[in-house]
Amino acid sequence: MTLLVGVDIGNSTTEACLAELGPDGPRYLGGALAPTSGVKGTAENVPGVVKVVQEALSAVGRAPHELATVLVNEATPVISGLAMETITETVITESTMIGHNPDTPAGAGLGTGTTVAFGELDECGPGERVICVVGAGVDFEDAAAGIAAARDRGVEVTGAVVHADDANLVVNRLPQPIPVVDEVTLIEKVPLGMPAAVEVAEPGRTVRTLSNSYGIATLFDLDPDQTRLVAPVARALVGNRSAVVVRTPSGDIADRRIPAGTLTLIGEHARLSVGIDAGAEEIMATLRRVTPLADATGEPGTHVGGMLATVRDAMAETLSDTADEPDVRIQDVLAVDTFVPQHVTGALAGEFALENAVALAAMVRTSRAPMEALAEQLRSALGVDVVVGGVEADMAVLGALTTPGTERPLAVLDLGGGSTDAALATGDGEVRSVHLAGAGDLVTKLIDSELGLDNREVAEDIKKNPLAKAESFFHVRMEDGTARFFDEPLPAEAFARVVVLGEEGMRPVPTRHSLEKVRQVRRSAKHKVFVVNALRALERVAPGGNLREIGFVVVLGGSALDFEIPDMIAEAVAGAGIVCGTGNVRGREGPRNAVATGLVDAHAGRAL
Amino acid sequence: MSGIVDRRGQRDRHSPPTVVARCVGDHGVRELLAGLEEEGVPVRLADPADASADAGGATCGDGASATAVELAHAAARASTLDVGVGIDSEGRVCVHHAKRPADRPVVTTDAARARWCGHNAARLVIGLPLKEPPEQMEETWPHH
Repeated sequence: MTLLVGVDIGNSTTEACLAELGPDGPRYLGGALAPTSGVKGTAENVPGVVKVVQEALSAVGRAPHELATVLVNEATPVISGLAMETITETVITESTMIGHNPDTPAGAGLGTGTTVAFGELDECGPGERVICVVGAGVDFEDAAAGIAAARDRGVEVTGAVVHADDANLVVNRLPQPIPVVDEVTLIEKVPLGMPAAVEVAEPGRTVRTLSNSYGIATLFDLDPDQTRLVAPVARALVGNRSAVVVRTPSGDIADRRIPAGTLTLIGEHARLSVGIDAGAEEIMATLRRVTPLADATGEPGTHVGGMLATVRDAMAETLSDTADEPDVRIQDVLAVDTFVPQHVTGALAGEFALENAVALAAMVRTSRAPMEALAEQLRSALGVDVVVGGVEADMAVLGALTTPGTERPLAVLDLGGGSTDAALATGDGEVRSVHLAGAGDLVTKLIDSELGLDNREVAEDIKKNPLAKAESFFHVRMEDGTARFFDEPLPAEAFARVVVLGEEGMRPVPTRHSLEKVRQVRRSAKHKVFVVNALRALERVAPGGNLREIGFVVVLGGSALDFEIPDMIAEAVAGAGIVCGTGNVRGREGPRNAVATGLVDAHAGRAL
Repeated sequence: MSGIVDRRGQRDRHSPPTVVARCVGDHGVRELLAGLEEEGVPVRLADPADASADAGGATCGDGASATAVELAHAAARASTLDVGVGIDSEGRVCVHHAKRPADRPVVTTDAARARWCGHNAARLVIGLPLKEPPEQMEETWPHH
């Protein structure tokens, strides 16, 4: 009887599988899991490995000196990088717009006139049509009294723009209501003495005139060329309850446009270029034509050139510890269409417009990780024999085959953080594997940018947990419509907010998006990355690219623990008549521990 | 003591639903009411001296020495909308909800942020997330 432990050092977690090897094969005793210390494949991993080995031993009450062998896998020599770039940009050149949605604009209707500062209202003559601009520090009673007095003198104050959150307070104190837009933070930048329009819609409706290019053209008497210039303004105002457009002399704000550029995909047999602005679908179709990919380059001085440079720089940095001369050749790319809320140039209240963007994940093959050096360090740290052996993909297949109800031909889909890997074991024991760019990290990035969170941690929470909305201080409504009550009152910050119910309790999502919107972004991000990659990966390993030749698909890896990704993949491959499901390694570990188990299994096979 | 005391609401339990405000100090009252008005939620000023009566015999002491939290909780219990606001003689402002434990108010701050409290009291009624605290007002803001 010998006691051995298989250790799988992954990008984010290190897993161990403890087994006793007898004459009848291995008897599995248990497993353990810990975060990987340092970059995968480097000597920094030693503390993490020591930790899982000790945990696995102590869980079953065995002493370290009983351990005979530690098995470590040959780490897959691939790393991945991400970049994202917008391909459209809203620039306001002809007009200044304020299109933000304050919670409480006031009045209703459309007002037009020349912009006049509140302090200069006295100087306006009767019959003048003006829009009053109330700066910071003016009390609402004074503002209302001033506007009412001007109107009494015959000045047609048709609308107002206010710095503070005062719109209703002002309108409630006017004899006749006028449309008022408030919470304009950069009010000092509103140009004075210019023609302007203020529109506020009835509650529950959105602006009609200022979100229509011809509406703006009518108000300001624009010619076709000028109308073309204000079209982005109208587009950016669609869906708002209130809006302000100020017409400024042209050329106030310079136009800036970086060409999106072309991506050149260099295959082993062909070389094709594709414009980034053609979108993800076209890029992926081009990639399919040049597969297998040898490298990819971006046109210098363009968005895509910048993106690939970002990816390469990040990778070169990671590799500098492990390789002598980083040779960064891109082996796979995944392009995903997305959109990014961006500050509108020329806006005055911090407005955003949704810009189209493309996210690129790239995968680079590296030189072999220095596993022997790591093994040597482990030997001295643990005082036992350390064996490096087994290609990661082969080990994953062996581990996956311990899932009850599986047999060859079996494909493994390993959904990780940086890459989506697939391996197919055919009946004759041959294993074909593929590593594709784009996995959990890209999903997090898409959620983060599409919701404009700018907070990776929150995006990660949204990715991993179902959503709910705090409807009172004592209950939340889950995204599927069920209610959940709490004994303790919820924190005030959570009230009426979208929250995620994670392992560490409830966390409010700092966004104004509705629950439905957040859910839709989350699901589409997972679909765009994992479903697309699962199909791509299975097609690459399947004999003749035919999914029907694969009997069983076992989903493994950290993202296989996700509450909806495995279902999405199962649904997507259901048409091909495949049995697809989340792995259950050794009938008890779930989608974890496959490689560690495979290591033990392979070693046992050699020993017998 | 505020000059305006509206007792009609207490007499008539069938009056329209309102947020109730009990204010011992004058400081911040106008701003508090402005916050509620801007959000479009009706508010009624109640006599702070009746705090203990409305709180169903809770030990609030007499109105003048009650804390903002006690005033707010009593006001919330008196409100048909379950939301109350209190301002004590020290100028502390508190927003409370009748269903929350008495010692765990929604927001407690000082009179400089009374406007923000008014907005938040209203938002509890209309079911909007609370407003971000105004950044220029640190906790070191003078209380008087």
